[in-house]
Amino acid sequence: MAVRKIDIQQAVMAADMSYAKKIRDKLAEKGILMINLIGSPGSGKTTLLENTLGKDGLRSAVIEGDVATDRDAVRIDALGIPSIQINTEGGCHLEANWVDMTLEKLPLEDLDVIYIENVGNLVCPAEFDVGEDHKVAISSVPEGPDKPLKYPLLFTEASAVVLTKTDLSPYVSFDDDLFWSDVAKLNPKASTLRISCYRKEGLDEWSSLVRSWLEEKRRG
Amino acid sequence: MHELSMVKAVIDALDDLYEANEWSAIKSVTLRVGAMRQVIPHILTFAFTASIKGTNLEGAELVIIPVPIEFLCRSCGGRWGESDLGYLCPHCGSKDVDMLQGMEMDIDSLEVEE
Ligand SMILES: Nc1nc2c(ncn2[C@@H]2O[C@H](COP(=O)(O)OP(=O)(O)OP(=O)(O)O)[C@@H](O)[C@H]2O)c(=O)[nH]1
Ligand SMILES: [Mg+2]
Ligand SMILES: [Zn+2]
Ligand SMILES: [Zn+2]
Repeated sequence: MAVRKIDIQQAVMAADMSYAKKIRDKLAEKGILMINLIGSPGSGKTTLLENTLGKDGLRSAVIEGDVATDRDAVRIDALGIPSIQINTEGGCHLEANWVDMTLEKLPLEDLDVIYIENVGNLVCPAEFDVGEDHKVAISSVPEGPDKPLKYPLLFTEASAVVLTKTDLSPYVSFDDDLFWSDVAKLNPKASTLRISCYRKEGLDEWSSLVRSWLEEKRRG
Repeated sequence: MHELSMVKAVIDALDDLYEANEWSAIKSVTLRVGAMRQVIPHILTFAFTASIKGTNLEGAELVIIPVPIEFLCRSCGGRWGESDLGYLCPHCGSKDVDMLQGMEMDIDSLEVEE
């Protein structure tokens, strides 16, 4: 029996990439912006959505990715915002084929923005394209300022880096300069925001950024 | 654990090729993996060995070709890698920077028995 070498040169995630493209094509046609929120467990992703959705004049929906429970979807439902929970049952990130199935359940004719709250994790969600227009890295003050350098893929791929829970800075002696200088080296073109949902700081800047992304997308 | 998802994607992609060809066995699979992918080689190998049991890849060996990160500055032509990781040129401070390599996650080649 002969052993033969065969050249392949194909992306490992080719199947998933085709789902991501399908999603992008569909959302481009409908003029809907999709934002993929990625951050550690408890970094404040759902709280940011709670503080901005419905108050920014945009029609939004949320796809919630969690390993288990529908608690985050329930929090979004309470705002009167359409939300769909995906439970990954152990999986540490969302994949495009699940997001594609979920889109059918959303009122796409009546939406401006779809947010994906990815599974809390700084590694895997950065790896998987789910058809979003922008990835947003969410990092909270109590996690410490070294997250950008420790998780460089997320921070280099993100269109925006959001530092949350800035009200906690004095209690954990957070080194703001270190955090932002590392972000500037990894990804000098990223938009940067400092947000405290407790003090209601930075929320208008966040909503303006989302609105500018939507306008940019609809202008084509 | 993205290594496990990657292995599943490799198995699915090669299943289709296996069905379409007259190979009697796949002896080895070579992947090109960019350093930016944060893949830990021994975890990838472990996930591969554990996942191929009972599939068309059973018995195959995994070969990983690591691809280092390389950035290119469009302003000054400078090149750098992991030590100055990022889209800011360490030579001239320009932001007009491309990543030339380091994001690979590709099936390079196979060795098959016919
Ligand atoms: N001090 C302070 N706490 C905050 C802020 N934003 C969120 N928190 C708290 O942080 C905790 C986690 O917030 P969530 O919004 O549930 O975080 P998450 O990222 O959605 O969490 P997972 O979905 O479980 O990964 C909650 O106790 C919030 O009240 C903030 O701006 N300041
Ligand atoms: Mg949440
Ligand atoms: Zn993982
Ligand atoms: Zn330069």
